[in-house]
Amino acid sequence: MSSSSILELRGISKTFASTTALSPLDLDIERGSFVSIVGPSGCGKSTLFNILSGLIQPDNGSISLEDQNVIGATGHVGYMLQKDLLVPWRTVLGNITLGARLKGKVGPEDKEQAMGFAQKYGLGEFLHHYPSALSGGMRQRVALMRTLATNHQLLLLDEPFGALDAQTRFEMQQWLLQVWRDTQRTVLFITHDVDEAVFLSDRVLVMSPRPGRVVDDLRVDLPRPRTLDTLVSPAFTDLKSRVLHQLHRERGA
Amino acid sequence: MTKKKLLLNIFGPILSVVVLLGLWQAIVVWGNVAPYIAPKPWDAIRAVTSNWSTLAPLTWWTIKETIYGYLVGAFLGAFLGVVLNKIPLMQRVLYPLLILTQAIPIIALAPPLVMILGFGVMPKVVIVAWIVFFPVTVSVLDGLNHVDKDLMTLAKVFGANSMRRFVVLEMPAAITQLFSGLKIGATYAVTGAIIGELAASSGSSLALYQRSASGSLDAAGVYGTTLLMTAIGIIWFLLVVGAEYLATPWQRRSTARQWRRGAKPVLTNN
Amino acid sequence: MKRNFLSISVAGAVMALSSITVLSASTLASASTLTAVKFVYDFPGPDMEIIPVVVAEKEGFFKANGLNVSVEFPPSTSSTTQLLTTGSGDIGFITTSDMAVAVEAKAPVISVANYSMTNNWGLFAKPGSTLTLAGLKGKKIFSWGDTWTNAMIPFVLKKAHLKASDITIVTGSNDTPLLMKGTIDFTTSTTNYAIPGITEATKSAPVGIVGAAAGVPNVPVWVYAVTHNYANQHGKNVRGFLKAIKAATIWASQHKAKAVADFMAAYPKSGYSKFYSTKGWALTVPLLTNAAGKYFVQTNKQWTTLATALKSVNLIKSVPAPSTYYTNKFLP
Repeated sequence: MSSSSILELRGISKTFASTTALSPLDLDIERGSFVSIVGPSGCGKSTLFNILSGLIQPDNGSISLEDQNVIGATGHVGYMLQKDLLVPWRTVLGNITLGARLKGKVGPEDKEQAMGFAQKYGLGEFLHHYPSALSGGMRQRVALMRTLATNHQLLLLDEPFGALDAQTRFEMQQWLLQVWRDTQRTVLFITHDVDEAVFLSDRVLVMSPRPGRVVDDLRVDLPRPRTLDTLVSPAFTDLKSRVLHQLHRERGA
Repeated sequence: MTKKKLLLNIFGPILSVVVLLGLWQAIVVWGNVAPYIAPKPWDAIRAVTSNWSTLAPLTWWTIKETIYGYLVGAFLGAFLGVVLNKIPLMQRVLYPLLILTQAIPIIALAPPLVMILGFGVMPKVVIVAWIVFFPVTVSVLDGLNHVDKDLMTLAKVFGANSMRRFVVLEMPAAITQLFSGLKIGATYAVTGAIIGELAASSGSSLALYQRSASGSLDAAGVYGTTLLMTAIGIIWFLLVVGAEYLATPWQRRSTARQWRRGAKPVLTNN
Repeated sequence: MKRNFLSISVAGAVMALSSITVLSASTLASASTLTAVKFVYDFPGPDMEIIPVVVAEKEGFFKANGLNVSVEFPPSTSSTTQLLTTGSGDIGFITTSDMAVAVEAKAPVISVANYSMTNNWGLFAKPGSTLTLAGLKGKKIFSWGDTWTNAMIPFVLKKAHLKASDITIVTGSNDTPLLMKGTIDFTTSTTNYAIPGITEATKSAPVGIVGAAAGVPNVPVWVYAVTHNYANQHGKNVRGFLKAIKAATIWASQHKAKAVADFMAAYPKSGYSKFYSTKGWALTVPLLTNAAGKYFVQTNKQWTTLATALKSVNLIKSVPAPSTYYTNKFLP
């Protein structure tokens, strides 16, 4: 294992009934990188996330996360979905510290960390608000803070901004990049949106269904920090077009 | 809550009670209803206040029967709701039995209970609990069955064991449903106590006081006792609503109350 | 005084329905030429004391007097007078204490005939037990919670030289099982109900202290009553009703088995066995005539005695003229 890899998958596969959800997959994810996965539904990206988070067991293969075998074990990754899944009876602070509560007691250091996150990322005013008082974008921020507060190096984000409007979405993408840079975490990011994938990532994996597999692995060498200008640069357009073609070819095939 | 809304919440119910009493008065006066058939509202109230020294201990008994039975019923109901949710086999075995308990006319249940448990507070407690537990079980079961599956998955990914998932997520998630069951139970509880008192009481009871008032054609006494029984039911219902208000602040408030926030926030910048 | 207060109030509704069917079947043909009269019993369900009414219907005595009588059951004991005053009933069957309380409450009702002539109320205990007034202290005594029982118990206590706090009154809906189980020591009832009930349960007759021996005033227990209005406007119906009832009562006293059979047929689901009703009716018949062998006749003395007694135990505040309570002018 190369010293810069945080996650190493070897020969991971999964079959449901007679459908191959994931054909043998090898994958290395670099520590601190931002990797997006795009692909049509049924390409196995959710299966991959479920295997990584420990919810299901692969049929074959090995997973090493920070040099630990984590097959079938939960509690090793941060996880976030399109639904914010905030619990209505806990305040913003209570939701951010939910991970700690689910593993035991919320200690003073958990609270302090949560308040630190909230302060820094624009939620300081809302620490004692219930989720019902927050906008969709703010709810997603809280959800991400909760994911960060679990203190796992690897974050699995499954279309977290899928339900937001375009304006909020762009703000959230920039905000996510800021958080990612500050906290030095490794992000695996599922999205349907090719623009989003290219804009955010160091690397884009294109997946294809029947059987689910990775068909392309692109490096995105666009300079950071990325801004509105990034979106209209020729380099961005080239990358985006390559991903789109790859997706289209797979669908046509 | 705005001030206008608050005023409406307080004066709305008062107004409706006043209108109801007015209507009652009008029917009795204009309909020329004899006082031994139906009293004027004020006479009914006076029948309670002027006999308060007799009625107070009886009322206290009825309140005790109601509260004991309600608490037993509420805890049993919630417990059964959890059991049915956690053990699917139980749902098939127990659920028909639970329906059966509610199909038995409570009025037929009272005499045998008295036979077994005597004339004291016990048979009344059992009857009240019998009535109260069912809506609580159904609502808790409903609440637990509707906890967001994705939330439970998330908790699993976070590494929470099933006990923690239950305590931290499922229990609070079911609490709003729980209260709807508790409120239904609260309105029925007094009825159960009164049915129990009618079946048999040693010494006297509110129900028997009413029966003997009825025998003496003392309609004011009969209606007054009814008002008293109703008041117990309403006050208990309001207490449950108050408990719900305190237990589920997120339903009405945008921020947590100061005392629920725990330690004062120490804001640090990092 | 009658059993199963609670269950019978449920059954009462069923009874009321079935009674309408039973009675209307025989009267359907000539209903239009007959005068409708609503009779209200004293209890939520039927028992053998209703036999004169059942027989008057079944054996055609009502019809012969131009009446079509329907039977109603009140929702609770002691509410029969109220049903009369609201017009839900025409002729009621009530206890004399109900009558006294109604007059006290200024309800315009009047008794038109005695049903029974003597006070057969008292205390009863399981066969073989000791029942003396001296032994009442500290005992649990069952009460139906009705006005009559409330009126009688103070007299028992007076005669036994006891205070109310010396005994425990247990009020409920059914005495026999409690008596059998020993949860109560004695029950209160009238001979025609207590003896069949306890005999049926234990196969032997109960011990009892009845009437004067129990210290209670010797007054009739049940009467037929109407409102003043009904008496004034439908005197003919009242007279016809009593005429039919008298004929039916005499017939039922002579044909006891057939009378009970009529009752069982009219109310197959009364909850009372043939044994109970047969024994009960046999015990009721001797109560219906006075020393001179007359039916129905009321006296000033009986009402004055009753009112004085009720006043002495604070159930009524004043003793009105006996004529306030009754009239004999409708007697056949």
